[in-house]
Amino acid sequence: MAAAVLAGYMVYLDGAVRAQFEGTRWTLPAKVYASPLELYSGLDLSRSEIVSRLDRQGYRASSSLSRSGTYRSSVSRLDIHTRAFHFWDGQQASREIRLNFDSTGVSSLSALDKQGDLALIRLDPLMIGSIYPKQGEDRILVKLGDVPPMLPAGLITVEDRDFMNHWGVSPKSILRAAVANLRAGGVVQGGSTITQQLVKNFYLNNQQTLVRKAKEALMAILLDAHYSKPEILEAYLNEVYLGQDGGRAIHGFGLASYFYFQKPLEELQPQEIALLVAMVKGPSYYDPRRNPERALRRRNLVLDMFHSAGFLEEDSWREAKKADLGVTARTVRSTSQYPAFIDLVRRQLLGQYKDADLTEEGLRIFTTLDPEVQAAAEKRVSDGLDKVEAARGIERDSLQASAVVTSVEGGRVLALVGGRDAGFAGFNRALDARRPIGSLMKPVVYLTALAEPSKYNLITPLDDSALSVKLANGDTWRPQNYSKSTHGSEVPLHYALTHSYNLSTARLALDVGIPDVIDTLKELGYNGDPLSVPSLALGAVDMAPMQVAQIYNTLAAGGYYTPLLAIRDVTTREGEPLSRYPLKIRRAVDESPVYLTNWILQRVARYGTGSTMYRTLDRSINVAGKTGTTDDLRDSWFAGFAANRLAVVWVGRDDNKPAQLTGATGALQLWAGIMADIDPRGLMNVPPEDVVEVPLRLRFDPNGASGNDYGGCSGTTPVPFVRGYVPDGLSDCDSDIMRENRYRREQPQQRQEEQEEGNWLQRLFG
Amino acid sequence: MQRIAALVVLVALAGCATNQRTSFPPPQGPASPTIPSPGRTPEPERVPERPSEPEVMPPRSAQEASSPAVLSLLGRADTLARNGNMDMAAATLERALDLEPRNAFVYQRLASVKLAQGQGGQAEAMARKSNSVAGDNPFVRADNWRLIAEARRVGGDRSGADEAMQRASSYRSASQQLMR
Repeated sequence: MAAAVLAGYMVYLDGAVRAQFEGTRWTLPAKVYASPLELYSGLDLSRSEIVSRLDRQGYRASSSLSRSGTYRSSVSRLDIHTRAFHFWDGQQASREIRLNFDSTGVSSLSALDKQGDLALIRLDPLMIGSIYPKQGEDRILVKLGDVPPMLPAGLITVEDRDFMNHWGVSPKSILRAAVANLRAGGVVQGGSTITQQLVKNFYLNNQQTLVRKAKEALMAILLDAHYSKPEILEAYLNEVYLGQDGGRAIHGFGLASYFYFQKPLEELQPQEIALLVAMVKGPSYYDPRRNPERALRRRNLVLDMFHSAGFLEEDSWREAKKADLGVTARTVRSTSQYPAFIDLVRRQLLGQYKDADLTEEGLRIFTTLDPEVQAAAEKRVSDGLDKVEAARGIERDSLQASAVVTSVEGGRVLALVGGRDAGFAGFNRALDARRPIGSLMKPVVYLTALAEPSKYNLITPLDDSALSVKLANGDTWRPQNYSKSTHGSEVPLHYALTHSYNLSTARLALDVGIPDVIDTLKELGYNGDPLSVPSLALGAVDMAPMQVAQIYNTLAAGGYYTPLLAIRDVTTREGEPLSRYPLKIRRAVDESPVYLTNWILQRVARYGTGSTMYRTLDRSINVAGKTGTTDDLRDSWFAGFAANRLAVVWVGRDDNKPAQLTGATGALQLWAGIMADIDPRGLMNVPPEDVVEVPLRLRFDPNGASGNDYGGCSGTTPVPFVRGYVPDGLSDCDSDIMRENRYRREQPQQRQEEQEEGNWLQRLFG
Repeated sequence: MQRIAALVVLVALAGCATNQRTSFPPPQGPASPTIPSPGRTPEPERVPERPSEPEVMPPRSAQEASSPAVLSLLGRADTLARNGNMDMAAATLERALDLEPRNAFVYQRLASVKLAQGQGGQAEAMARKSNSVAGDNPFVRADNWRLIAEARRVGGDRSGADEAMQRASSYRSASQQLMR
């Protein structure tokens, strides 16, 4: 009777074992890759900058260059044996290349192998994360035939010497464990074979009971009967638990190799293989990042076992024992390295892919993240906040910030910082913290006006006197300038934006009409529906930094809207293309008024509210931007761009209390730091087809024009106008004060005499 | 029919790229931007006047305006397009744009690929973007307006096409002036 029950149970277990082993054994989270580094002649990176990237990706210095994933560096050149990689547009073979350098960067790229010339080559991209369920397993599958032979040999040596001969269980080791357990009066040791360990991981929970032990043994025998040793070993390589990364469990040697060494398993050195094998016994106890000394001792013990088993030669053994652990730095973080960016990727995939597709199918997602830009942004945000708090006597750690960096053309999101601690996967402020944008709205107002060239140009006088507007709900709106003063009735249009005047801007917006301003805002890429109220002109609309980046990106790209994208391509695990995210552009706003608006935004940076940026930024670089400050100094914004980079930074408090910062004292400081670190190229100022320039003397000063106007033609600045709309009578060398120009035209003769007289008097008394 | 017309344009443009014109000076480097005088935050008293630049022949082909890396990608994109693999051709051109985001010739090539894909709207947007980064280059602009005319014709906008064609020919005469 008992035998029949046991037989029936065996049949049941047998079915379970086979179903699990042969079915979809593992769900594979999608793998997310950063943008690959392109190497080519003319690339403006120095040798050391490229070497640091190679190091980060686990490339190893080697004089022989005999294997992929190695490099050889000398004074003015760098040889690299690249890794093969399957990109979204096909396979790129491993190559041996040489880069020469001059003072500006890479001066030439040539092939060292016999596979033909090449003009450019991509490094394999950095893997930046996986998309896995909240609590879940992550792994990269490997094949037994592809792993270094030392790994399976080492595993067998250390974990299960009898593996090739036993039937799934090893009576010898069970006996040994039983003795130990008897002595201790409880279960303290498992005599588990590799097969049993696999069974335990696969089918059973973690309780150490005798019944479970027996079940495990039965299943191990069944597994061994059905499958070959190599099949079992390969499953083990992929299943074994090797560490924890927040909610993500690191399974299998394939992923562990990246997790600890940032490189593929094939490239591991003996001491690195030994460390991973050492960790099988207790991934947390022997965690090389948290318990380095303990891990090192066990690694060296394992190396000794490798050596005495005969597959590690004397020289290599000594060499390996001398090496340090070699694990890549990684702060203790809750999830991936780039939680905010991965969050964005996930959202952009949503709707197109089901959650299960992303967490189970092993998709490969190629993103736009630039790890260098991301690193700079994270560092400048966190250091910048420390500095701002210290400089202004603000309570430590009370401020928060977020940042978005894009490529301008192509609308690629290069970096995303969701908060002060960028590694913390919490509230993603770059996407979700919607705050009033304040004066960041003003360029939209001016752009709307300048799109009507018959009515507005850069020197149109604006009224900056006090204003009160009766609102539909009976209230009265009385905006004020930041300085609480007014600036007369003839402020040149460019000046009012450069210095962020509220009164003239509000009047301008009411002139052009709030609905028109809203239309422009939407054309530029805003997807919300703001209230049509006068205060919209001064930024009474809540936006997340990402939304601001979208709007300013359209300005930066000359009026061409491109949806901001974090993803380029998605392929299957095997590299078959699934979806492309092709470049799409839309001519959103006429180029000419955008050019005029950006011209003012460059003056904001040079002379206006943004000018302190040049304490950090190289003066020769032309950039454009705008500060934003909200009521009671709650939010501090800066949005600005160079030709190739755009960044938006928000600084404020999570509890929305006053941060005591203006756009200039807060966000701008972080922004300038980021910009300085990410190789901005200066704006070029090539006027579009329908723009002409008139050299004018920009001499308006709200405190009264500076000195007498002696006329002449020195110190002019080319001021752009829409072709056909240069104000009647305006001529070269006029000023930006229209009243003055009219006066000079009406009395040219007299002015000439006055001027001469002035000079004469000056000479006399000077 | 539509496809064929588009391909003709594409091939014509591809032809331009393979025509080596070595007699022209190399493309201008980044023009030095007008930098107002450094120093004070208020308006500057003096701004150095922009030096009058010598008349330089604008680049006529991608050869003259692109780095070897970008040229190799353009060549690859041409091959892909000729084999009808427009998606990959576009992807390759986007890769070229990553290297040189303001290269008018790359946008122009993208426009012709979009046209071949039957995306007239995108073709026109790309061609206009090409214009906007082309500076004062009548060679590029003439070809772009021809592309726009074709995109509009295919889209059924006859008068728009005629207007674009007119702009193309006025830029063509401007470019012939330059050639003299």
